[in-house]
Amino acid sequence: MNIIEIKDLRKDYPLGATIVPALRGVDLAVEEGEFMSVIGPSGSGKTTLLNIIGCIDHATAGSVKIAGSEITALDDRAVTDIRLHRIGFIFQTFNLIPVLDVLENIEFPLLLMKRPAAEARRRAEKLAEEVGLSSYVRHRPAELSGGQRQRVAIARALVTAPAIVLADEPTANLDSVTGASILELMREMNAVEKTTFVFSTHDAGVLRYARRIVRIKDGLIEKEPVAA
Amino acid sequence: MLLLRLALRNLLRQKRRNLMLGSAMAIGVAILVTAGSFSAGVSDIMFNKIMRFITGHVAVRFNERGGVMREIFRDRGRILAAVQGDPLIEEWYESVAMFARAIGNGKSDNIILVGMDASKGEATRADWEASFRLVEGDWASLVDGTLENPAVFSQEKARSLNVKMGDVVRVRFRDMFGQDQAARLTVAGIMRNDNIFMQPVVFLELERCKRVLGYRPHETASLSLQLKDARRDAAAVAARLHARLAPGTAVIPASAGGRPVRLYGYRSDPGSREKLLASLRLKAGSQERALRRDGVLVPEGLAAALRLSPGGKLKVSWPRKFGEGPAEASLTVSAVYAGGPPGAPVLLNDRLFYGLYYPDLPAVPSDPDPPAGWAALLSPEWTLLERTFTTEDYKKKYQEIARDKHRGTTVDVSTMYETASDILKLEHVLNVITLSAVLILFFIILLGVVNTLRMTIRERTREIGTARAIGMQRRDVRDLFLLETLLLTVFSSAAGVLAGFGAMALISAPVFHPKDNPLGMLLVDGRVYFLPTFAGIAASVLLIIAIALATAWFPARRAAAMSPAQALRHYG
Ligand SMILES: Nc1ncnc2c1ncn2[C@@H]1O[C@H](COP(=O)(O)OP(=O)(O)OP(=O)(O)O)[C@@H](O)[C@H]1O
Ligand SMILES: [Mg+2]
Repeated sequence: MNIIEIKDLRKDYPLGATIVPALRGVDLAVEEGEFMSVIGPSGSGKTTLLNIIGCIDHATAGSVKIAGSEITALDDRAVTDIRLHRIGFIFQTFNLIPVLDVLENIEFPLLLMKRPAAEARRRAEKLAEEVGLSSYVRHRPAELSGGQRQRVAIARALVTAPAIVLADEPTANLDSVTGASILELMREMNAVEKTTFVFSTHDAGVLRYARRIVRIKDGLIEKEPVAA
Repeated sequence: MLLLRLALRNLLRQKRRNLMLGSAMAIGVAILVTAGSFSAGVSDIMFNKIMRFITGHVAVRFNERGGVMREIFRDRGRILAAVQGDPLIEEWYESVAMFARAIGNGKSDNIILVGMDASKGEATRADWEASFRLVEGDWASLVDGTLENPAVFSQEKARSLNVKMGDVVRVRFRDMFGQDQAARLTVAGIMRNDNIFMQPVVFLELERCKRVLGYRPHETASLSLQLKDARRDAAAVAARLHARLAPGTAVIPASAGGRPVRLYGYRSDPGSREKLLASLRLKAGSQERALRRDGVLVPEGLAAALRLSPGGKLKVSWPRKFGEGPAEASLTVSAVYAGGPPGAPVLLNDRLFYGLYYPDLPAVPSDPDPPAGWAALLSPEWTLLERTFTTEDYKKKYQEIARDKHRGTTVDVSTMYETASDILKLEHVLNVITLSAVLILFFIILLGVVNTLRMTIRERTREIGTARAIGMQRRDVRDLFLLETLLLTVFSSAAGVLAGFGAMALISAPVFHPKDNPLGMLLVDGRVYFLPTFAGIAASVLLIIAIALATAWFPARRAAAMSPAQALRHYG
């Protein structure tokens, strides 16, 4: 079953008097449990695509179905709810909440879901252990290295057991060794939790981790080669 | 809970900025609390300390037969009946006071003799004792039967009269009837007070004071009412009292030559006079004589039975309401009439009538009603003056009394709003000052909150985007910023209230000794007086919170409305 189904997706950004076409008719289907990479040069539309899949940006035209339901017509409230319950985000710049410590950052989405505090805490502790941060749970983001921060972000993205995790250039701000360990961790999570992963990169080096590769250029998806 | 934790931590994050804004708010609250408490203190002094002793919150004043000096009403019980049992009235006082010249040991000075009601309850007594503290003697000696007119003097007067405890002070005064009188007082107590209004006051026990001044026990000078909530109820109580004091028709149920006969006054103003003449026929005597100030109109039947004609003497007597034995009078007949009111009463010019009626009030007959349809032409028991609502009108009313306009005893119900409006204006001024402080604060907080929030939101744009991407609803983002503002305001207000109390303690620490400065009346025990009230402080705090939340609302909503994608892309 396709967890993501995109048809003729277009996205134009208004820029002063002109418009910038960032996506110009994208068709894409992602199956449940995939570990897929979107690769393309800078400015090709990767972030835009992930943002639309992640329901944080609106499509200009076309259809986007997440787990079978069309999201392009939903209001902000419903779309926010989908983000909370079905999607996990991992950002290039980690984007942790600076006033919360590691555990609090990880449990944050659960508390937004109004889960009981004790249950949220237990689950956050488990995730912290899985990403290897058990001894750092009381640290604030400012007291962590880049790799550690991204691990926190991964734990936060997975804590709600979402259907899809979207990672926009998760390794771009990390050195290659740390980046590799992050991708290993993501692949492990994909294997263990059966979560669908979509991550973007412009670094051909990370491609060997992907099981499926989609190339994007100038807002269009290039013909897919057979998955590795 | 989550929002609260976030809000608290975010507040701590921008320590310097929030400390600045918080201090501004705290200073604002401190100013509001201090100004409000000062205002409340001044009102308290005015309403509960000064007003109460000067005029009362509501006062009933009497001027017998319209005489400016003749402050006397002959039927104390009648008036008290109208006052007692009114739930809005906390306490009533008979106020009896008189200017007098006092002669001490080789020195003399002006004083005001004031009666103090010792028959009131313990609470009132305690109140008095708290308001006027004795440095020598005690209040109980005011009712000491072994002393001749024991009296309490202020320190200032004791000094200026050169008297000490136990000395005799002679006083001379002109009584309400214009007679010169003298009396002897014994210094039984010396009080200290910083309120310059109270310095010339010499207290005597009420009953003795009345006796000294020439009032009989059933008579009174004027009545002061103290209300539970003066500001709210003064007008209503006055209106109610005014309605209850509507007079009936005055009648003297007399006997003349063994026959019962009723004596009525007729109203001598030109309009009523005309109507009277039109409704009866003169059998003997002239119209002109009948209408003179000593006019006595005798009905035909009585004139025939007693063989009376104009110039003849009519002897009448009547039972008195107060005192033993009948009262008597001898009237010179001016005219004999036929027709007129049923019951054939003797009709007297109101000047003559009231001269008989008031000094020896007659016992009330079993059927006191006037002949039907005649009430408008006959003299009332007293003249109830119209209520006035401004000082202007009030003064006019008393100018009319001074012009000898009224024949009967005038009864006037007034509130402090007419009689002491000058003092009350001060309160108004204070309110304006407080209001200006509020306005200035309003702008400081407005600017502070908007600016701080704008900066904060710009700095935290990416964070907002992250939280929204993770699944935080718009409403929660807005509430988070409102909550941060609320917390800051609540903490600042708490600090501000403490600072306000500190400021008040500081301001009221020094003791002043104003001598002739009228501002001295705003001091209590020589100190600036504050009366912080829970309601006042709560109102100030709520006001600041409301202002802060209202100003935070728009930036907070704008932050919530940002598109998450846009927010995540934000640089800075
Ligand atoms: N808010 C915006 N307003 C105008 N144009 C935009 C906006 N966001 C993106 N674009 C444009 O849309 C196109 C796609 O941008 P996008 O960020 O998706 O590229 P990307 O593939 O993620 O690039 P990178 O690898 O550098 O992150 C670019 O040409 C970019 O200039
Ligand atoms: Mg990008």
